[in-house]
Amino acid sequence: MESTDHSNRIDLQGRKILVVDDDRLNVRILANILKQEGFTVSEANSGEKALEVYETFRPELVLLDVMMPGINGFETCRQLRQRYGEKTAPVIFITAKSESDDVVEGLSAGGVDYLPKPVRAKEAIARIRTHLQNRLLVEQQALLVDQLSKANAAKNKFLGMAAHDLRNPLASIRGLAEFLRDGVVGELTADQLDLVKTIHEASQGMLDMVNELLDVATIEAGELKIHPEPTALTELLAKAVYLANIDAAKKGTKIDFHSNDHAPTLPIDGAKIKQVINNLLSNGVKYSPPGSLITVELTRDDQHWSFAVRDQGPGIPDSERGKLFQDFGQLSVRPTGGEKSTGLGLAICRKIVDAHHGTISATNQPTGGCEFRVTLPS
Amino acid sequence: MAFNGKVLLADDEPHIRKFVGLLLKQLGPVSIIEACNGQEGVARYQQERPDLVLLDVNMPILDGIGALRAIRQIDPDAIAIMLTSLASRQIVEEAADLGAVNYVRKDTPKDELLKTLRETIEACFEDDEPAP
Repeated sequence: MESTDHSNRIDLQGRKILVVDDDRLNVRILANILKQEGFTVSEANSGEKALEVYETFRPELVLLDVMMPGINGFETCRQLRQRYGEKTAPVIFITAKSESDDVVEGLSAGGVDYLPKPVRAKEAIARIRTHLQNRLLVEQQALLVDQLSKANAAKNKFLGMAAHDLRNPLASIRGLAEFLRDGVVGELTADQLDLVKTIHEASQGMLDMVNELLDVATIEAGELKIHPEPTALTELLAKAVYLANIDAAKKGTKIDFHSNDHAPTLPIDGAKIKQVINNLLSNGVKYSPPGSLITVELTRDDQHWSFAVRDQGPGIPDSERGKLFQDFGQLSVRPTGGEKSTGLGLAICRKIVDAHHGTISATNQPTGGCEFRVTLPS
Repeated sequence: MAFNGKVLLADDEPHIRKFVGLLLKQLGPVSIIEACNGQEGVARYQQERPDLVLLDVNMPILDGIGALRAIRQIDPDAIAIMLTSLASRQIVEEAADLGAVNYVRKDTPKDELLKTLRETIEACFEDDEPAP
């Protein structure tokens, strides 16, 4: 029997069962069977008494007769559920009537199963074991979920702390390298300049990475707060495209922006949406071959504004679609100019867009390349 | 406009003082007074009465917000700019309520930082100096 297999995994020895029946003989018979199986048993001869005993005995399963003077089994079950909610031990009804109406009422009162009278020992034990095991598995699962979410919170706290403490020194290294590079403290030889530029680029790369880690930690800790203010989206896009073109030019890539004469003002967090735009633009440049044309377009339908960034990269492999907007979801597709990627950028974008009640999607274009589209409610 | 005032720079991290110090020198022949925590910053303010104060937010002993409060008590007209690493809205608003004129994020690229500092200083001191 399958339940015997399960019992090897979860020890049911000594588990507490409350038997409730106004017929003392029935209680005694059931209690004896259960005790022989190694369960700990407590008894009650009415619904009222059962509520009392439940409070002190805290059973892990209840066998509950339906027909009793005073409050009947269904009502007792309802009251237990009311008091203990989801934590109520599973209730198995014992009923002489096995008409389906009765069964339905029992189940809707919060029971998990029923045993027909007269109770057959083997059947009763098998069902009891199954429900106890279910119960214990659910408890174990809840415990595991709780432990996992605590571990995840600790990880985020650590990430945040590490990133925070790494940031300032990195920003200084970058800034001081810039001073050297720009000749503020004296002219450098070509070799010196080359080294200083390397220091500058490396610290810039690390700073970007640390900033992304910090973003993820903050967002996952539930601290992503957006502050929507009326913002001119066209301007935001145009400015971002202008700045991104400076970097793109280093790869001979160009970014074009078409606003179609739209100039919407939307209630968005400008700084956060700018972060999304910047990320999509830099991805477009990063993953398109040098000399590409990236197009950015602002469009609207009845309810929504959306902007799309279309690149000329290899597109998203179908098999890796699921990873695209996940944390550390780096794909097999690599940047074309040796750029770095933390695999966090799009995950951050998705979280920001989610917080705006918008959507972000990626579609491979029939003509090649990929289109990333962000849609925001107007 | 070249800025030639006396600037108090309070930050517990020496590399930040060095970096921001270099930034300030780009603005003109400034004289810089350094402090490595809020308490020292307040004391130096009291002695030196600088024209401008740059205050880090996270500092030991007395943080930037505490130092700002104390300095504005000594001199309600003190001009202060906060240096932050994370632009926490709450801290920025608190500093603004206490009379800080602006804030800059230390991880902003150099040229952008310089621009913000220059603009803030120009806005604060344009009334004091005769137009050229």
